[in-house]
Amino acid sequence: MWHTSLEERAVKLTSESERNALIAFLEKQGLALDGDVEYSMVITDFGKIIATGSFAGRVLKCIAVDEEYKGLGLSEKVFTHLTNEQFRRGRTHLFVFTKPQNKQIFSDLGLSLIAEVPSKVVLMENRTDGIRKYLDELAAESGEIIPSAAVVVNCNPFTLGHRYLLEYAAARCQKLHVFVVWEDKSSFPTEVRYRLVKEGTADLPNVIVHRGRDYIISDATFPTYFIKHYEDVVETHARLDVTIFLQYIAQRLAIQKRFVGEEPYCAVTSEYNKVMAEMLPAAGIELEIVPRKTAGGAAISASRVRELLRSGDLAAVRALVPETTYRFLVSEDAGEIIEKLRSSASRH
Amino acid sequence: MEKLRRTMLFVPGNNPGMLRDAHIYGADSIMIDLEDSVSVNEKDAARLLVYHALKTMDYGKTEVLVRVNALNTPYGREDYEAIVRAKPDAIRMPKTETAQDVVDADALMTKIEQDAGMEVGTVKLFAAIESAKGVLNAQQIATASSRLIGIALGAEDFVTDLKTNRSPEGIELLTARSLILFAARAAGIDAVDTVFSNVNDEEGFANEVKLIKQLGFDGKSIINPRQIETVHRLYTPTPEETAKAARILEASEEAAKRGSGVVSLNGKMIDKPVVTRAQRVLALADAVKARVE
Amino acid sequence: MKQLTIQSTGIAGTLESSDISITIEQNEDKGIEIQLKSTVENLFGEQIKKVIRETLEDMGVNDALVRANDKGALDCTIQARVTSAVSRATQTPCYPWEVK
Repeated sequence: MWHTSLEERAVKLTSESERNALIAFLEKQGLALDGDVEYSMVITDFGKIIATGSFAGRVLKCIAVDEEYKGLGLSEKVFTHLTNEQFRRGRTHLFVFTKPQNKQIFSDLGLSLIAEVPSKVVLMENRTDGIRKYLDELAAESGEIIPSAAVVVNCNPFTLGHRYLLEYAAARCQKLHVFVVWEDKSSFPTEVRYRLVKEGTADLPNVIVHRGRDYIISDATFPTYFIKHYEDVVETHARLDVTIFLQYIAQRLAIQKRFVGEEPYCAVTSEYNKVMAEMLPAAGIELEIVPRKTAGGAAISASRVRELLRSGDLAAVRALVPETTYRFLVSEDAGEIIEKLRSSASRH
Repeated sequence: MEKLRRTMLFVPGNNPGMLRDAHIYGADSIMIDLEDSVSVNEKDAARLLVYHALKTMDYGKTEVLVRVNALNTPYGREDYEAIVRAKPDAIRMPKTETAQDVVDADALMTKIEQDAGMEVGTVKLFAAIESAKGVLNAQQIATASSRLIGIALGAEDFVTDLKTNRSPEGIELLTARSLILFAARAAGIDAVDTVFSNVNDEEGFANEVKLIKQLGFDGKSIINPRQIETVHRLYTPTPEETAKAARILEASEEAAKRGSGVVSLNGKMIDKPVVTRAQRVLALADAVKARVE
Repeated sequence: MKQLTIQSTGIAGTLESSDISITIEQNEDKGIEIQLKSTVENLFGEQIKKVIRETLEDMGVNDALVRANDKGALDCTIQARVTSAVSRATQTPCYPWEVK
């Protein structure tokens, strides 16, 4: 392309004028600049924006090319730019969130379809074997594939409430698959959360603890889950997440039932539960909502445990968590996590 | 035969499609760029791409230059290491400021040629001058190395250095163009003018080409194949010019045969410089003919 | 010959016409595995894979997962992009003239 008037550059998102110019261009294309975008680039012709792309975490988004400039290979340029920038940041497994009508464009760019919420959104990834490899990993961890049930947990950290839910579910199925949410956006690091679930259920022989990785409530399948304030798009994301669960995970592991803890407070989680209540039975999978275990008249929750850790009341914490979690909390390894908890007011 | 350098086409170094097709538009020289058109994150990949392209592709009669990054950047040295081995006709060094810059490049190229078992001097040098300091040193630069086949003006950086910008008339470039041209002529090498970046302004471009041709430049750096035709048209002698030059040379040869120092055509005396110019017109016409064939 | 072990991931090339995008990943003890997507796959798929494989072998890479998305690249472009991707994945400069 000999158009030397075309320039490719990163957008300074902190500059109001640059940001507004980008928002105005996206608006013309029927798109908005998502709030979680961490990097944006534009291609300009004599200074005018003619193509753009952004990403948040591993998800490429807000990609658009001016109609007048179609056919010049600009979407290839945008995609290459974003991919290279991601690789420089150490992220190599990438996802694209886009409208279903853009499927072909991204497929030509080498992306593979994971799942679609009709007329709303498709999720694609830059690997042909991404989800297949994950399913292989799950199957390898699961032993014999027999009719089973599933629970998805974050466990920040693992409490007697979680223990109750898993024990309850394990007693009602032949095999229970527990998926630990893999996003590292909680006070307790992912590896610690995973370890505490494993240790806390070691005595339950039919429980298998899996890493949730990229395909269960991750920033790719369910970006708004981690924003924690309700938006209309939450329903679409929830549908996408449940679609992947049904099409791939439940299918591969012969999951016939999903248990969830009751969620009376968080609007995002209760929307997720609502979507599951609609979609799972339609696919022949039972959903059971398990009421929370209480202690001293109040539901046991991880947020209460974090609150008590913040105020330094370890004795009260001890009453709400299994011995395995408690041992970790008083260990040296937990020092830094608790220190951070105290200095922040985050709900997570 | 006269080496034609009417057009030197910039080709971005990290674009395989453009590298493949660079010579098909008919520019006299192509200048594959590893410098400004390649972002810092792609310097490594572009260098390897150009290396492999030069090793493989046949650009025919088209002269091939590669613009490397300056030796005072983190990329310059590796650029020379790769590109000298890939044997283009010449390396175009950017932002040349002093004769020492040329001497350093020459020494490095000599070492690389020796390391690679090549004949020393295989790859020539072309120096772009892009600052006031460089322009004032043009004479020393032009004579700093026997590899040097030409010097060029790079105007974008130059006008910034002068604290001005480019105008359609180009008054701000007049002194630089003249000094570079003098330096080239005094050293017996070529002088190539800077780019004209508004591809859509055909009239402005043609005016600039007429100007630099009148000043005496051998050709112009161009950024788009669309600019080739204009330059070649303005630089190629018309049939009338060629015919007249042929008659002058005939008369000159006749005079030489007669042992006479006085050349005359149609009863008019012809001075020596007129004969020299006629020789140049014919050489240019022959070169164009050979290029087209 | 020098052996190169791929431990992280490297990418080079673009998706523009006549280019090829190459991603190189670790593939411990599993040899060279190539996943190719190409606009000219039917005609040149095998040839493209061969060039990728030979370039890797020449560099001393025995195990690598290669994801290639080809847009009609010439062999020399494939060689250059594979070399760049390996160089980035191993964070060592890979000069073709040192290999041979």
